[in-house]
Amino acid sequence: MRQEEGLWHRLDLVARSISPFFVTLLLVLGGLVPLRIADLSPIVPALALIGVFFWSVHRPDLMPIWAVFLIGLIQDLLTGSVIGPGIVGLLVAHALVVWQHRFFLAASFAVIWCAFMLVAAAALAVTWLLTCIAMTTYVDPAPLFFEYLVTMAFYPCLAWTFLRGQRLFQQR
Amino acid sequence: MNKPTGSDIRVASPLKAWASRFALLLLVGAAFGLMLIGRTNSFIVEETRSAVTDMVTPILDAVSQPVDTFSGVIDKAEALTNLTSENEILREQNARLLQWQAVARRLEAENAALRTLNNMVPDPAMSYITARVVGDPGGAFVRTVLINAGDRNGIEKGQAAITGDGLAGRIAEVGKRSARVLLLTDINSRVPVVVGDARDRAVMAGDNTNAPELLYLGPTAKIQVGDRVTTSGHGGVFPPGLPIGVVAGVSEKGIRVRPFVDWAHMEVLRIVDYEMTGILDFEAQVGAARAAAAAGNNQ
Repeated sequence: MRQEEGLWHRLDLVARSISPFFVTLLLVLGGLVPLRIADLSPIVPALALIGVFFWSVHRPDLMPIWAVFLIGLIQDLLTGSVIGPGIVGLLVAHALVVWQHRFFLAASFAVIWCAFMLVAAAALAVTWLLTCIAMTTYVDPAPLFFEYLVTMAFYPCLAWTFLRGQRLFQQR
Repeated sequence: MNKPTGSDIRVASPLKAWASRFALLLLVGAAFGLMLIGRTNSFIVEETRSAVTDMVTPILDAVSQPVDTFSGVIDKAEALTNLTSENEILREQNARLLQWQAVARRLEAENAALRTLNNMVPDPAMSYITARVVGDPGGAFVRTVLINAGDRNGIEKGQAAITGDGLAGRIAEVGKRSARVLLLTDINSRVPVVVGDARDRAVMAGDNTNAPELLYLGPTAKIQVGDRVTTSGHGGVFPPGLPIGVVAGVSEKGIRVRPFVDWAHMEVLRIVDYEMTGILDFEAQVGAARAAAAAGNNQ
């Protein structure tokens, strides 16, 4: 009986520690689902960026840099774009958060959202620049700008859901 | 009780910072390496991509079905609201189409007669594979969709993907049970086309906007807004005569085409299996020609 409890406890711990990674992977998959809404396709939000940013801020121990790399790789493979720029974009976002982690420790929700605006702008700009270089063409940045705005609007909804989920976990 | 003291943190954090900086450099370097590999050896990248896509396609397949049902219900509700006006339009259209049908029948018979008269080589047979669109990555950089049919269903690289309205794209990558369709609007898409009744040849190039551009038109070509654009069949990748769209704008900056395909409601794609060896099989053809030449020499 005791042993069984120990096993469950350990499984629970493992599930908790890998859930940020898997939830972010689910976000990557979610971004692929065709929604059949006119003209939405070019401006789907960068969901993986939200996931990586959120957990880099709130649980950096559960979102290590190699996980960020892996998420970026899977995202670039699945979306069909050039492999590399998306990875570097997510790594930049993660590195910026880790660099300023003291600032995020005391920050309120609204402040973190504002910080996300800056971090996401940097990440998407890097992704855009590298994509242009890798494809050796000029890619029109206008849809990317709308993607950025939609991502901004999505952040509070997703972050709120994640925070709720985290609290639920902690209560148990 | 074993909480780290202040001095422990002071010693550990520079070390940790160095380690994380090193990891960051290493992984950014790895990403650049992958970018280079993608540029130089696209085969490995394609294989990996189709393997990963194969893995997630069943999930996407399951998830996209309720989405389709839901959007179908919305479409139906929308259709119900303007039923009468649509009915009227359809009646008019039907009368016009019946006239066209008579003309088409006559032309078809005439065409067949002329073909036999000239001993014209018949076009290769076409067969179709129907697949559902299960993934639409979206984003600012690519215009592709994933379909739930692949190698085992007979999908091959280069085949044309069409909807009831017209050409949508071509197969760019094939996995076992999934494939990626490069849409006409993607920045990497190039399709040889003919424009208008004069059948001026051109290449239609996508640039990630909804209206691809016509390139390499001859100096004598006179293009007008409303001219029909169809595949030319040059290169043997696409069958000739597939409808693509109409010329939407002619300006100093370029000629834009508005495709017939309704991108938002693209739920099912028909993949045209056009049994002709095109440029994509060029290497196989050269190999076969060499083998034939070698056999000839041996005799």
